[in-house]
Amino acid sequence: MSIADRFAELAHLRDALGAEEADPTRIVMDRILSPTEAMIGNRPTILVGTNNYLGLTFDPAVLAAADAALHEQGSGTTGSRMANGSFACHAALERSFAAFYGVPSAMVFSTGYQTNLGLLMGILRPGDKVVLDSHSHACIYDGCRISGADFLAFRHNDPEDLRKRLRRLGDEAKGALVIAEGLYSMLGDTAPLAELCAIAKEYGAWFMVDEAHSFGVYGERGLGLCEEAGILDQVDFITGTFSKSLASLGGFCVSRHPELQLLRYGSRPYIFTASPSPASIAAAAAALDAIRTRPELKASLWANATRLHDGLSAAGYDLASPVSPVIAVRVPSREEGARIWNALMEHGVYVNLVLPPAAPEGAALLRCSLSAAHSFDQIDAIIAAFKTVAPEAATGGAQSTAAQ
Amino acid sequence: MSHDTQDLEQEILDVLFERLSKFPVKSGALTAETSLVADMSLDSVNMMELLMEVEDTFDVSFPLNMMANVETVQNLADQIKLLVEKKA
Repeated sequence: MSIADRFAELAHLRDALGAEEADPTRIVMDRILSPTEAMIGNRPTILVGTNNYLGLTFDPAVLAAADAALHEQGSGTTGSRMANGSFACHAALERSFAAFYGVPSAMVFSTGYQTNLGLLMGILRPGDKVVLDSHSHACIYDGCRISGADFLAFRHNDPEDLRKRLRRLGDEAKGALVIAEGLYSMLGDTAPLAELCAIAKEYGAWFMVDEAHSFGVYGERGLGLCEEAGILDQVDFITGTFSKSLASLGGFCVSRHPELQLLRYGSRPYIFTASPSPASIAAAAAALDAIRTRPELKASLWANATRLHDGLSAAGYDLASPVSPVIAVRVPSREEGARIWNALMEHGVYVNLVLPPAAPEGAALLRCSLSAAHSFDQIDAIIAAFKTVAPEAATGGAQSTAAQ
Repeated sequence: MSHDTQDLEQEILDVLFERLSKFPVKSGALTAETSLVADMSLDSVNMMELLMEVEDTFDVSFPLNMMANVETVQNLADQIKLLVEKKA
């Protein structure tokens, strides 16, 4: 395939999305009013698809920390961690993550995507075996692919399917890497981490969990689903991002193995990129403090998630999962998904439109992600908008659920 | 090529044809030379599900990265055959 062919293929994709009125790239937040509201064009819009779970992007403590770092340390590091880009703030945040998890090792990366890429490219080599949940995020697939390791998928959230695939690997299962996520971002369902971890350990495999969507949201202390599942002392690597609960930009990996630190010498996505800006690090550090000291944020998030889940469920919508901070509404077709998505926007509500293959199971999804910063009035307005724009979708959803 | 090897290859092709029959083929009929991406537009999820089904049918491990060497149905059958023979 030539570059011209590739451009033609992408133009075709763009035109198809445009014809369906389903092109997400046309949505621009013209003015940000708060963690939960923006002007899109001239319309004030409630944002319910931002992954801003704890609503900390405008938190006074987070803003003050970022502002101070910006003025004290400058607008960027202009270098990689390997060269001039290791500031005291990077090392301090790594110590904070290690202390929060009670582990010897933590590393900070420049984005969440690069965190998984950096860990996987750092620890895997061609010939190594990886068994990953089939719904894993693109950065997990990409990290495996670039590493040259042999990677297989197990059926989503199915411990027995994982066991079957490890058994097939025979002797090679020992030392393989098993990967799952905590909260899956599209369907809003959670992994049976205790069972998956037990099976991985039974076969002598390593176990990695991506808590991008579950850090700050699950677990008594907000450490994520590994904490809730009681496996913090067994999981080998936990990754997460700053761009959701931590209201910033960057990512982290923690490990009970001190050897994680060795990746500073051999992880290309860590070595060959600029380190996170001081303001990004300071914002993440302040948000981490908020997770530690303000459990009421998590309580508000869950109250909001429960209210939206109950409201949409009572209205007859087909929801993909039990209540979680991600509520995915199943819609019977792409066309209906695009129509409702646009109609919601006309009613001042922004959700994520998710189409296959990003939407698992073939259906279209209207994906809502909740925030601690939403008010009950906003939640009620979202429910009212859904009821107004698509009463017939609710009926279709109820029928399709009954038919399953 | 022995009878057994030919039988195995045909068995693999039959399974693939059956699994792929639900996807439309741009050029018309589904054959061993049909391209999985260019002629059938299988997306990444379709491809992964096909491989998980293949693994379960033949009780082999088929790493997703092996798809880099696969363009046609025949290429895929050849790779699966190698794995089945290696297992035996």
